[in-house]
Order: sequence, then structure tokens, then C-alpha cells
Amino acid sequence: MLICEDISFDIDGQKLFSNINLNLKPQKDLLIIGPSGIGKTTLLSILCGIQKPTTGKITYNSIDLYNLPENKIDEFRGKNLGVVFQNFNLINTFTVKQNLEIAVSAIDTKKSIPFFNILDRVGIANKSHIKVANLSIGEKQRLAVARAFVGDPKWVFCDEPTSSLDDKNANIIANLIKEESLRCKASLVLITHDSRIQTLIKFSKILKLGDEL
Amino acid sequence: MIVGITIITVSILVNQVTKETFSKNNPGLDAVVGAKGSPLQLILSSIHHIDIPTGNISYKNARKIIKHPAIKSAIPISLGDNFQNFRIVGTNKSFLKLYKANLISGTAWSQPMQAVIGYNVSKITKLKINKFFVGSHGLIDTGDVHAEQPYKVVGVLKKTGTILDNLILTSLDSVWNLHSVTNKDKLEITSLLLKYKNKTSSFSFPRLINKGTNMQAASPSFEISKLLKLTGNAHRIVDYLSVLIMILSFLGILFTLLNNINERKYDLAVLRTLGFSRWKLFSIILSEGMIISILGSTIGLIFGYIVYESMYYFSIVGRSLELGQLSFLNDLFLIWIIVNIIAFITCLVPCIKVYKQNIRSTLLNS
Repeated sequence: MLICEDISFDIDGQKLFSNINLNLKPQKDLLIIGPSGIGKTTLLSILCGIQKPTTGKITYNSIDLYNLPENKIDEFRGKNLGVVFQNFNLINTFTVKQNLEIAVSAIDTKKSIPFFNILDRVGIANKSHIKVANLSIGEKQRLAVARAFVGDPKWVFCDEPTSSLDDKNANIIANLIKEESLRCKASLVLITHDSRIQTLIKFSKILKLGDEL
Repeated sequence: MIVGITIITVSILVNQVTKETFSKNNPGLDAVVGAKGSPLQLILSSIHHIDIPTGNISYKNARKIIKHPAIKSAIPISLGDNFQNFRIVGTNKSFLKLYKANLISGTAWSQPMQAVIGYNVSKITKLKINKFFVGSHGLIDTGDVHAEQPYKVVGVLKKTGTILDNLILTSLDSVWNLHSVTNKDKLEITSLLLKYKNKTSSFSFPRLINKGTNMQAASPSFEISKLLKLTGNAHRIVDYLSVLIMILSFLGILFTLLNNINERKYDLAVLRTLGFSRWKLFSIILSEGMIISILGSTIGLIFGYIVYESMYYFSIVGRSLELGQLSFLNDLFLIWIIVNIIAFITCLVPCIKVYKQNIRSTLLNS
């Protein structure tokens, strides 16, 4: 279970958002919406342990995330969380397959990972040896999704996964995220200002930044 | 890094091996008496067989010195010929005792034109017992040979680790016969290797020879220490140069790593988001730097040793040095350790930079 209590974040002394509380049960979905600049990406960074909040507490299955040493936060993120970043955060000089391999090496898992199956599920198995720099936006998005799910995470966070895609590709990526989170039995937290997403995925909860849950 | 370590290695090897070789080649001789000229040249030519002799002295006069009451032992030597650049030394059998030489096979010479060869001579020239060879005029192989009078190998010496390994020994008569000197009054030798009965003679005896005769007496320990002092200054300059190169190498490693990190800061931030901890990235960067340092310093040591070995095989001076001495290994190992400790400290700078990286701001700025 993911619990956020009184999360707030200040930039240069000015509040970006405050008193965010949320409670996400296992295998439930949460959509966080709001206009650009409201702090959605910052909130996602806070939930993922990348950016410490100004105040508040985040617990994953009773583990207080920001009470862990920083090295442990990184390890926790690698083992338990999958993140699809808005700008993908892929390593452009690596091939598609190498991007998955490096993600797996961070987890220190002993089990063999069926990279081909994963890439096949997201529809880019034939691009496995191509460098990321040579992929289209849609292909990069698919790879980012594949990488987020490669370690079978318990919680998955997606930041604007469809906003730069046309309707057809947005539909494909949204279905992919939903299918993969069902396969992994993961809780999904999706952040977007793209209004199309609600027609593509049914969410258990919706948080509009600024409003109460 | 490789260049710096190579220069340091060669410098250490040459410096130490030269010192050890000079020390081992002198079996406790107090003085060398020879023709007037450079005393250092006399010592180098008569004991270490590097330089050319200063000239010859009359054997008649030499015999007077041998009988002098201050002299405990005196061994005459006569130089002039070589075989494949290995010097042929006319002397008496006391020369073998002086170096505590033992024979692997055969016996010492008993007649003129019989020769006993050193261990390296046998190994390199493939000469064996009962084989004949002809000497060449001069101390370097010029091809001008004494074809009419060949030497016969009658003995091969065990390895001594001294210059003896590189010499061909024969009787004084062989040298005189070969150069057709028959008049006993005109017999000449190159020098006399002396030991005093009493060390106090080391002040009075050379003065006696230098002022009262047309010969000179030189002290091996004094001349060699003068030489080492001179070469020591040259070694120090080489050492300073190599230290400067090493400092540049460390700066090279530092800036290469810093530049790499700067170029890869986005990738490193991505790795953090994937679950690589700060310590894991710290250790990866440290490993990269240390691999460069360890490989560079090890290759430098190997190159240094190759350069040093080449000196042995391609120079006549090098042949007078004794290879295979292991005492310098400790020094080289110590330098290898120090270099890698400094490299480790240098690598910490970029590692700390990676450790302190703020992943969110890096990702946002990228």
C-alpha cells in the first residue's frame, strides 16, 4: 500500500503544492491530473524517491521512503518501482536491448529476463539492436514502458505517457501500460494533463491537483 | 602514465644494476696500475672491461711492483683482442682465484693459445670444450682476425654474476705470442690488479707510483664513486622528468574522468533512477580510473624492462651489466604501489562529484 501524508513542496520559498494526501491500495490505479506547471512531475519525482518533499511522509507497505538512507532509496526504487518518464530518460547511446539490460543489472536479479518477449509485447522486438537515438518518439515511448515493467515492479509511475502521441499511438501506449500493470499486478499512478487518457483507461481514483481526493 | 613509468623503470634498473655490477665486479682490489692517462678509464678498462685501456706498461717494471713489500697480491692482465666482442684477457691463474671462479667443464690453460671462457661467452657464442676460435684485433669485433693462430677452448666457467662471465681468459704468453713479442725486455701488459697488505698503503703507494714512475695507480672505489656521483646527477634529472610526466599523467586521468562524467552526467542520472545507488556509481567510476592507472603503470613497467633488456642486447656497455638481479624489484613494486595510490586519490575527485550529483536537476537540465 502506498500512503502519502501531508506532502508539500516549496521552490525558493514559494509553495508549489501542499497537504497532498493519498492512499493507494495494491493493484489499484490512480490518475493525477492538472494543468501544466502545477507540479505534477515534481509530485511524481517525490513519489519515486527522486526529489525529497519539503514536508510530509511517503510510505510503501509501511516503509518510510525518505527515512531510508539515499543509497537504500535508490535500491528500493530499482527493485519495487517502475517509472515511465515524460522525456523517457533512455540512454541514447545504448541499443534498445542494452537499455533493458542496464535496468535489470540495477536490480541484481538472478532470474533470466526474456528480453525478446518483453520487446515483443510492446511491439519493438525487431528494433532490439538499434540505438535509441535512431528510434521514433512512439518507439521510445514503448521502450520506456518496457523498461519500467522489466523488473516486475509493484508500483508503476507514468508521467505524461500519451501527451506527445497521436490518438492511435496514445491508444496503443495506454493499453500497453494497462496490460503490463495487470500482468505485474502492480499499482499504477499516472500523471497527465492529456484529457484523452480517461477515455482510454479506467482509474480507481483520480486526484486533481489543488482539489481534495 | 605509460611513458612516465617506463622512464622511471629504466632509470631505476640502470641505476641499481650499474651500482650492483660495479660493486660485484671488484673482488676487493685496492688499486690498478697502468699507463698514465685517465684513472677512471684505467679502472673501467681493467676491472669492468668497458672502456679502452690507457696504454701498456712494461712487464719488467710491473714485476718490480709485484715484489714491492706493500703488495699482498698482484695480477697482471693484458688486453687487446676480442672474439665476437667478448674481450680476450691474458693473465695468470690467480685471476680465477680472485673471482672465486669454478669450472663447469674442462681445466684451466696449461699452454699458450689455450683459453677458458666465461659462462655468457659459452652461451652466446656456442663455444665448447676443444672448439677453436680466432681472436680479432682490438676490443670491438672489426673482422681483422689472427687467423694463423686460433685459440682452443679448454675450460668453461660457472656463472659468477660478475664481468668474468663475459671474458675469455688465456695466459699472458698467448697474447705475447699472438703479437709476436719475443724480446723479454720488451714484454708489455695492460695493467696490474693489486691488493695491499695493509690498507694504509692506499695513501702512500699511489703517490709513489704516480710521482716516481711513468705509470699511474688508481683506486677502483674512489674512481667508481666519482663516476656514480656524476651519473647520479643525470639520473636525478631523469627522475625529476619522469615525476613531472607522472604528475601530467595523473592530471590526464583526472580530467579524462571529469570530462567523461560531464559528458555522461545525464546517463549517470538515468542509472540512478533505475536503481543504481550512489555507491554503485562511485565504485564504477573508481574502477574505470583504477583500470586505466593499473594497466598504464603495469604496461609502463613492462616497457621499461623491455627497454632495459634491449640495452643489454644492443650495446657493448650493456653487456658489462649483469642482468637477472632481483633486488630492484622491491623498488619497482613500491613505485607501482605509490603510483596507484596517487591515482586512487586522484580518482576520488570525479567519484565524489558523481556521488553528490542531484539526479532531478540533472535530468531536468538535460
